[in-house]
Amino acid sequence: MRFTDFTSHDMVLLLQGLGVSVALFAATTIIGLAIGLAWAVLRWYRVPLLAQLAALLAELLKNSPVLVQLFLVFFGLPVLLEADLTPVEAALITLSGNTAAFIYVIAVSAIESVGRDQLDTARVFGLSRWQVLRRVVLPQAAAFALGPLTGLLVNQLQVTSLISVIGVVDLTKVGAILNLRTLKPFIVWTVIGVLYYLMARLIAAACARLETRLRAHREWKGL
Amino acid sequence: MLVPSTRRMQLQFDLTSLVPYFGDLAAGARLSALACALALAGSLVLGIAVALMRTAASNLARRLAGIYVDLFRNVPFIVQLFFLFYGLPEIGIELGAFATGVLALSLAGGAFTSDAIRSGILAIEPGVLEAAQVSGLSRMAIYRRIVLPIALRSAVRPLGSVFVNLILTSSILSAITLNELTGTAKIIAADTFQPFEVYALLLVLYAALTWLVSLSAGALHRRLNRNQA
Repeated sequence: MRFTDFTSHDMVLLLQGLGVSVALFAATTIIGLAIGLAWAVLRWYRVPLLAQLAALLAELLKNSPVLVQLFLVFFGLPVLLEADLTPVEAALITLSGNTAAFIYVIAVSAIESVGRDQLDTARVFGLSRWQVLRRVVLPQAAAFALGPLTGLLVNQLQVTSLISVIGVVDLTKVGAILNLRTLKPFIVWTVIGVLYYLMARLIAAACARLETRLRAHREWKGL
Repeated sequence: MLVPSTRRMQLQFDLTSLVPYFGDLAAGARLSALACALALAGSLVLGIAVALMRTAASNLARRLAGIYVDLFRNVPFIVQLFFLFYGLPEIGIELGAFATGVLALSLAGGAFTSDAIRSGILAIEPGVLEAAQVSGLSRMAIYRRIVLPIALRSAVRPLGSVFVNLILTSSILSAITLNELTGTAKIIAADTFQPFEVYALLLVLYAALTWLVSLSAGALHRRLNRNQA
């Protein structure tokens, strides 16, 4: 006979799943941010071949389902490289790559949002290409990019739910386990949904705060 | 001497052994296309209705539509899908995997579609609407003849990217036992022991398909808006 009631241990399981989801989201966001920005810098310096390769890879990752990317890494890569990959490793690789592709696109459009005349002026004043990027482009591009970045992060949080399909015990997988045991789909999936919703709200609120701070220099301060 | 040669064999990227499975892939692609087409129709109907509610004068309509969009945009699609797939039979609605998948895609797509159409509606000059009201057109006529044609025309490109997302999201339907393109590929990968080739091919297929969709959406957008400044 199966035990169909909820127990206090389910709470622990739920928190565990939440922790795994949050940890993977945070880790892949940081790695994706680093890789995506590195790709954008390659483009900024117009590195031949590598810049085009980054653009092509980003386009491919953006235009294919994350689930297929996940299967390619988890099932395909070990066969090709003859090495074992755990589900968590596969999830880390896939989600970081996917986030990086979107970060690259946002970074490129943010860099292009800064007017050409500013770049020319900075160059005339003798700033190096790196100094222009660091001192002139970055402060303005960061404020411009935060809007799209918020949307991306909220979306990437939801994308983490797909890793349950390859067996990572994240929040969605915990939901599937509880659903199978208790046979109360409405309660289980509502709780899971609410938890994701609250996390998405938290991310959006945090980004909005940061955006106000980054835009503070444009505010009228009074004389 | 044998070791290096077997290693070379392993690293080969061999698509020829997948040729016998192309028929299965095509069948899966047809199912995906059907699901996406039905979901596109569903989310357009839903999106138009919700967009009209979100731009309505009534406070209640605006709030209800806002809650719907907020909810379906901020909860992962796979959770929505499982909610419907396991929940609906519980209350006596037996839909099957395909219908449930199309329903879930339409509901999620409707939220994003309404966003695109809403910004199209908000971009209409207030003077145009005032002129229509002064001319004595009924509310229905204003919606049908003025608001929607203008809003939909300027929303073609954003709707194209919503549709691209719908196609990418449809791969998740494989998680509820539906053998669409991704589900079929899973079976083929298990059959041939060539997961890398199968999924790499699938990735390129999806990318090419969505690229074509966004190209045609862009072309249609330009054509429909060719007389606009």
